[in-house]
Amino acid sequence: MTAQPPNSALLSVENLHTRFRTSEGPVHAVEGVSVTVDEGEIVGLVGESGSGKSVTARSIVGLQDPGEIVRGSIHLDGVAVTDATDRQLRRLRGDTVSMVFQDPTETLNPVFDIGEQIAESLKVHDQLDSQSLLEYLHVPPFSSRSEWREYRERAIELMAQVGIANPEDRVDAYPHELSGGLRQRAGMAIALASDPDLLIADEPTTALDVTTQAQLLERLRRRNAQRGTAILLITHDLGVVADICDRVVVMYAGEVMETGPTDRILEAPRHPYTKALLECLPQRVDRGSRLPTIEGSVPEPTGDRTGCSFAPRCDRATDACRDGEIPTVDLGDARGTVTCGESSALESHAARSGTATSDGAPESGSATTGSAPGGGPDRSTAPLVELEGVSRRYSLANGPIERLLGTDDTLRAVDDVDLEIRAGETLALVGESGCGKSTLASLLTGLETPTTGTVRIDGTPVGTAADRDAETLADVGVVFQDPRSSLNPRLTVERAIGEPLRSNGWDRSRRRERVQELLERVGLADRHATSYPHELSGGQVQRVAIARAIALDPSVVVLDEPVSALDASVQSRLLNVLADLQADLDLAYLFISHDLTVVEHIADRVAVMYLGELMEVGPADRVFDCPTHPYTRALLEAIPSLDPGGSTGTSLEGDRPSPVDPPGGCVFRNRCPMAEPKCAETDPDQRQFGPVRAKCHIVRE
Amino acid sequence: MIGYDYLASRLATSLAVTFGVSVVTYGLIFLTPGDPAEIILSQQLDRQPSAAEIEAFRAEHGLNDPVPVQYLNWLTDVFRGDLGTSYYSDMPVSTLIIEVVPFTLELALAAMLVALVISIPAGVVSAVNRGSPIDHASQLGALLGVSMPNFWLAYLLILLFPLTLGVLPVAGAGSVGHLVLPAITLGSGMAAVVTRLVRSSMLEVLDEAYVDTARAKGLRERIVVYKHALRNALVPVVTILGLQLGTLLNGAVVVEIIFQRPGLGSLLVDAVFERNYPVVQAVTLVTAIVFVATNLLVDLTYRYLDPRVQLGGETA
Repeated sequence: MTAQPPNSALLSVENLHTRFRTSEGPVHAVEGVSVTVDEGEIVGLVGESGSGKSVTARSIVGLQDPGEIVRGSIHLDGVAVTDATDRQLRRLRGDTVSMVFQDPTETLNPVFDIGEQIAESLKVHDQLDSQSLLEYLHVPPFSSRSEWREYRERAIELMAQVGIANPEDRVDAYPHELSGGLRQRAGMAIALASDPDLLIADEPTTALDVTTQAQLLERLRRRNAQRGTAILLITHDLGVVADICDRVVVMYAGEVMETGPTDRILEAPRHPYTKALLECLPQRVDRGSRLPTIEGSVPEPTGDRTGCSFAPRCDRATDACRDGEIPTVDLGDARGTVTCGESSALESHAARSGTATSDGAPESGSATTGSAPGGGPDRSTAPLVELEGVSRRYSLANGPIERLLGTDDTLRAVDDVDLEIRAGETLALVGESGCGKSTLASLLTGLETPTTGTVRIDGTPVGTAADRDAETLADVGVVFQDPRSSLNPRLTVERAIGEPLRSNGWDRSRRRERVQELLERVGLADRHATSYPHELSGGQVQRVAIARAIALDPSVVVLDEPVSALDASVQSRLLNVLADLQADLDLAYLFISHDLTVVEHIADRVAVMYLGELMEVGPADRVFDCPTHPYTRALLEAIPSLDPGGSTGTSLEGDRPSPVDPPGGCVFRNRCPMAEPKCAETDPDQRQFGPVRAKCHIVRE
Repeated sequence: MIGYDYLASRLATSLAVTFGVSVVTYGLIFLTPGDPAEIILSQQLDRQPSAAEIEAFRAEHGLNDPVPVQYLNWLTDVFRGDLGTSYYSDMPVSTLIIEVVPFTLELALAAMLVALVISIPAGVVSAVNRGSPIDHASQLGALLGVSMPNFWLAYLLILLFPLTLGVLPVAGAGSVGHLVLPAITLGSGMAAVVTRLVRSSMLEVLDEAYVDTARAKGLRERIVVYKHALRNALVPVVTILGLQLGTLLNGAVVVEIIFQRPGLGSLLVDAVFERNYPVVQAVTLVTAIVFVATNLLVDLTYRYLDPRVQLGGETA
């Protein structure tokens, strides 16, 4: 496909090199990337962080600043982007190409309402060359109120098109007043306002829940089918790729490793990197067994490189791979290209073997394989942690006067939750963002006090962290989502891990010994003890956080989205570390995650939360293979499947209601595909369905 | 939304601050050496006053009471709307203040205008052209502005404009021309501080993702900078503007004396030298109220500049 002459495709990127100047020398973020997108095509650009996929995308719309394009060409609709004047570039952006960015909390301007931001985009498209500052600042004589009102009307239509319910009410909303999903839809409306020929979407769904992701991908697919809008989708999620892309481009360290039709890449990947990436996915591995990993890490993109950039991590690498020129071979029959020096990659067998390695420990060492089938650890022992009728409410009034005036709303973050965790078991807590998962964890760790109900650890009721004795405190470890912000950047690894030890009165030499032992347990080297967090990679920092959490030999560890911020290959290594620790130390995990594929892999039992309430609790196999509650079913349907063509969707429409004003009766009823009148009348009780406990009127055994 | 609790608590704090200021100034006055009775009488009578005359003056103005009693008397009068009478002219202090307030007000506003007109464009241009000669020049100018003392700049300006070029009056008040040099003198220091702040705030905002969103729409760079970025960059600037008002009123003392303008500053200085306690006390109180009220106003404008700001304390 890259053999086509540059001008026939809608987008053609040829041998692009984008560099950044830094104080430590140039960073070669993109090194010779070639990509084409034809009209009406959906192309996925896949790779781990640092692969240069975002920089490639930004270069296409001329937003590579502060980087610079040092070589190569980009043609959009026949116009050379690299040589374009400011005016030409503005015309391209306002007419031909639009971009949807990753994090909708940061990509919308916080001080203008949504309507204004969409209206602006519409106006730019209509009047490409007459943009007066005073007009855009709404300064009266220069700007026509009626004109802006018209654009706002059209903005409302556009909002409806991207699936924003009640757009008339939301047009005046500021970004912070909307949920993540609505913000990203608004971002899409801004991008689609110019009716572009090419939409570049940079990780558009990464920050969103699976259900919202499924809805948004559906919108993109529909747009593509109806208006023929070509899409370049940048993602690290191969599930998303399988879901909507026609073709895939796999990037690694600033270079293209493999291209081809989605089916071919997923079923018969040729490049060792593509193979390894696919093998790391928890979906592809049996539940409870070890995940294959890719050893090493993405090389620093500095200086001159020779040979294949993946060679240091590739177990098939030969001397030729390390030193020689790597050929890009066209596989013929429109099956794409592969850039690999190892001739076996070019053979047509599709065996997925060998590159990703099991990282040494025997299979039986893994946590879950050793446990009793169908329900994790022995159910007869007393639970380690018990939550009984636990609720947490927040008053939204700001003080006594507002309370008097009756503006006292309560937010029900956690509502009447019963849950238990046994020693050595992994209980996964899943649900959409804002459902109360993290609050529930804070109740267990004592960072929050329950409004009603009791938390028991080892049979003893416990209060907040301040009221707990040293022993109870030591019994619960915590790992937070973003390891970088949960470690003090000014403490070395040794001091960070040693802190809980020190506050428990361990002397210096004992601390040192223990830290060494812990570093070894989480797979870090002794030399890391003196490093600072910024000197470590994301995976390493999270290992440090885990070491700190287990420093005082807890019996239960709360893991709040511990792998969500990590790349697939790093994620799989960390999940293996967690499994080893659990097997060796008989730890119980409360594993909070919105990523159901990870949960399916690691959990013994699963608890599904919605609007602060538990919808379903049961053994992982049962919940995943045969979900009881309609909400669980909807969540599972929303996971993008890796089977090409097997497009996913979700039966969940609309957004989660506000926890300040939940629907009466069953809280899920307004999104439930099975809802009946009685669901609105009474709140269902928790009922037992075999091994599963669920909260639903409709479901029968 | 503006919370009632927020407003109530802010008003209470403002009141407490003003009260504190009045206590401190009252205390400081009595710590300064010199007996007002003696100083005032010797000036009025043009000779050394007798012990009896001094005693009579002290009795008349309640200066024989213990200091706390004097303070309480003063405070109750203030609540009745009576700021006292000048020891000198027997004029009510409130009349004296009302006479000069317009002069200080026009000076402060003009200085503020000078500061904003210079600093916002300079800060923005500096940030947009980071590292360029323009940026360096504006940074240097800002450094100069911060470092230059008011009185020195005032004399340089007088030397240049009225004395050498023969334009603009040297001193006095009344016309727009009279306002130009004092406003520049007073505004330049503030302009320097605000320029640096606008620059750093803009640099931060220009790195934000929403700026790229605006560019990706196809908007002109000028609209991206002056609409999307500047509005966000102004939020921290407004805070400093409120606090800078204190510096401004401070500087007004010097500037009013050099340019021989009537105003709160010159009124205060004269009163201090003459030990005219009621005037000192009243001017300080008025200044404190203006300062506190402005900062309250500043906090309320946040809500307009940044809709995310919830006036009403910590958000969960």
